[in-house]
Amino acid sequence: MLRIAQGRVFDPANGVDGELRDVCLDGGKVVEELPAHAPRIDAGGMVIMPGGVDIHSHIAGPAVNAARKLTPEEHRGDVLDRTAITRSGTGGTVPSTFTTGYRYALLGYTTVVDAATPPLLARHTLAELRDTPIVDAAFLVLMGNNLSLFDLIRNAGPLNEAVAWWLEATGGYGVKLVNPGGVEMWKRGNRNVTSLDDEVEGLGVTPRQVLEAIAGAVDELALPHPVHVHCNNLGVAGNWRTTLDTLDALQGRRAHLAHLQFHAYGGTPGKRPRSRAPELAEHLDAHPEHSADVGQVMFGPAMTMTADAPVSALLREITGGKWVNADLEAETGCGIVPFAYRERNYVHALQWAIGLELFLLSRDPWRVVLSTDHPNGGSFLSYPRLIRLLMDRDFRNEQIGRVNQKAIGRTVLGDDIERQYTLGEIAIITRAGPARLLGLADKGHLGVGADADVTVYSEHEDREQMFATPRYVIKGGRVIVEDGELREAPAGDLLRVAVDPDEAIEGTLRPLFEEHYSVRLDNYPVREPWLLEPARAIPAGRGP
Amino acid sequence: MADGALERVTGTCPVGDAWFAERTADAPPVARLDGREVDLADAVEASAAILHEARLPLVFGLGDTDCEGQRAAVALAETVGGVIDPAVDGAVGGAAQAIGVSTATLGELRGRAELVVVWRADPVATNPRLLPRLRLDRAGRAAGRTLVVVDARRTETAEEADEFIELPPALDFEALWAMRALVRDVALDRELAARLPLDALERLAGRLRACTYGAVLQGPAGYPKALALLALVRDLARLAHVVALPLREDGNARGAEDVLAWQTGYPAAVSFARGHPRARLGEFSAAGLLERGETDAALVVGFDALRHLAPPAADHLRRIPTIVVDPRATETAAAARVAFATAAAGVSRDGTVHRMDGVPLTLRAPIASERVGDSEVLAAIAARIAPEAGN
Repeated sequence: MLRIAQGRVFDPANGVDGELRDVCLDGGKVVEELPAHAPRIDAGGMVIMPGGVDIHSHIAGPAVNAARKLTPEEHRGDVLDRTAITRSGTGGTVPSTFTTGYRYALLGYTTVVDAATPPLLARHTLAELRDTPIVDAAFLVLMGNNLSLFDLIRNAGPLNEAVAWWLEATGGYGVKLVNPGGVEMWKRGNRNVTSLDDEVEGLGVTPRQVLEAIAGAVDELALPHPVHVHCNNLGVAGNWRTTLDTLDALQGRRAHLAHLQFHAYGGTPGKRPRSRAPELAEHLDAHPEHSADVGQVMFGPAMTMTADAPVSALLREITGGKWVNADLEAETGCGIVPFAYRERNYVHALQWAIGLELFLLSRDPWRVVLSTDHPNGGSFLSYPRLIRLLMDRDFRNEQIGRVNQKAIGRTVLGDDIERQYTLGEIAIITRAGPARLLGLADKGHLGVGADADVTVYSEHEDREQMFATPRYVIKGGRVIVEDGELREAPAGDLLRVAVDPDEAIEGTLRPLFEEHYSVRLDNYPVREPWLLEPARAIPAGRGP
Repeated sequence: MADGALERVTGTCPVGDAWFAERTADAPPVARLDGREVDLADAVEASAAILHEARLPLVFGLGDTDCEGQRAAVALAETVGGVIDPAVDGAVGGAAQAIGVSTATLGELRGRAELVVVWRADPVATNPRLLPRLRLDRAGRAAGRTLVVVDARRTETAEEADEFIELPPALDFEALWAMRALVRDVALDRELAARLPLDALERLAGRLRACTYGAVLQGPAGYPKALALLALVRDLARLAHVVALPLREDGNARGAEDVLAWQTGYPAAVSFARGHPRARLGEFSAAGLLERGETDAALVVGFDALRHLAPPAADHLRRIPTIVVDPRATETAAAARVAFATAAAGVSRDGTVHRMDGVPLTLRAPIASERVGDSEVLAAIAARIAPEAGN
């Protein structure tokens, strides 16, 4: 039992916007009322929000681990000692698993979605998530370059059943498409697709068909989270047209676009990009079935890691530095390039500015939510600074003055945009909105029956400082962080979707597996309890 | 199966048969102290005392236990402030740390690679199922697919190849560097060229440049050779889709690297002596610490160290108090102060291992066993030392 008393509560899902209230917690849930003698935290002068929910991050799994192996120099300067309650670890742009869990919790986040797991390697992601303490975590399953699904799409096979089978077999939560068709072309001689209607050579499918078919399957299965799309042509000047084509193709169907900033460039391929954020913001405003996370770029070190392997090959040519490519049989690829965004660089400054434009021009914060595509645009540790950029116009203008001015000239940021996010809006883009888009009914709000995940901040004029060091973080009703220090570090839950695929689908998949995989179908589904527990299954079929 | 015991194994290769035989042979007592059978709890107690009192304990081996065992080994090394290092040579991993790597899972090699180069490895002997599974053996190889072997002598693998390039090991680095020049159309130093089988290397470079999907399988290599090969593959990647994959013999050597990396940030040679992970290949490598006599107690997990270490390292290991956790009866276990004979993952325990290409596989237990597994022994020792340990 715990009463968090008399703080300013921001619970936008329940229409609460800064009113002085008590939040009562019992049995891991928010409850209506508690006896007067219940233990209490005096939150007078403090701000109370639901625990943070990260809709798009890369924290666990084979790609993340390859990036860790690649950067010993980053780990040396950023270490965590073992304590009585915590394991030791290292940080940098890609922290070790334990450190990742602790640092997310210290930031006030209690739920994180890993956005890209190759299904064949789900066991690896699950094992890392189990070693990522405190936060509840889910992962999205890569399905955009899956040869067996291509086969079913081409032949009008039982696609819904196959999508459900893959989710059930992996313990995944949702469906991710990354550069549909393009990664397969990369593995066929370093090529790519450049439009929705390019055929994936010899396979008789196009990106458009993959998008429409899989988005349709996700809709018909009524998964809690819509299809999560990393569009074709990431990073390419002029790619905003591909992004609009994608949204048009998905019109009338629910869809979430990942890291929209990386897909909002005007201009022509090979030339200097310009911003098309205003057009995309407008399009999203007009289509309530669509949403996006921003994928904000923050200046400083980053780690680009993506299933979109051809993009990494381009980045390799820019940095001339370390590069990982990993082809994953019949399913996807992976590319990793350490990177740094610099204020004076035209393209980097433009990317930074486009991200801010998307935040500041979008009218519905419920559908354009916060991410840095950690660690691609920057570490999750930079969220507090990003929040200050959104909330503090003077600070923002000062920062705008520091960066490449030619880039700013290609955006609307030079016009001294007045908008300042309110605390209520921050609560939407960092918890209530992501939770709603994910279909996590017990997360992101403080209504009775919600999970007892609560973050309490001391009010501070400097919003960066305020959001960087919550006063209290409560997870499942337990006080995890107090005055910026961890008090305990329990395991978090795996959040997986509950679907019930027809067993007959295995008969369809078996010959495809024999053709494409080096493991047998019977050995593919994850059944090990030590990888799957503790877990909570969120049922499909509730609908949006 | 017959009467709860394994009567025979099917579908295995000779290496697999030997693996099962070692783990299903009459096992020693579950716990021994100085060669005498003792209670499990007493052996745990003695192990905890050894590791707790040591100035710099070393935890090594790890390539033949499951990922659960590896997780517990890292936690224990951290608890005692020791060093942990997989037994394998970390040079390939070290080279990958320096410049990265282009790689692929085995199914991609089977399905896409039209040109496969085996560089100083003999998978027919070490991984007998590999070539047939990849449909790269002579009998299974489709027209249009090419296998090239580079080695010092005509190995069994070379017998399967379309072309064998004879190259003494001492010239590996020079040959790979020359290939980089050939691939990039850079003029070669004449003296260097004269020492190499230049025609054959030129032909190979041409094949790699022209292929749509090429793969290089590499045997164990020191740092410069591993780096040269990865650099060559990186150069080639501009011209063709080319990947490299180091061949491993230890069943779960890849898992050891992976678990260490996700828990500490580093894949090998990690010291917890200062309370947090630090890694230095060489300085904290198990073989180096033993050879230089810098460790004063050792915990060996699933590895017959005395049969594999160089004499100076093996001599030091014999002198210091040693704990062995291994399902097998090994020379190292027989010589240890404390020896645990555990239930083997894949025989009498379920488990997860990572294949050499990083694909996690489930091991199922055909035999029931009363014995504890590696992870339970390691966790029990850690709990005895620090009952309040985090996570």
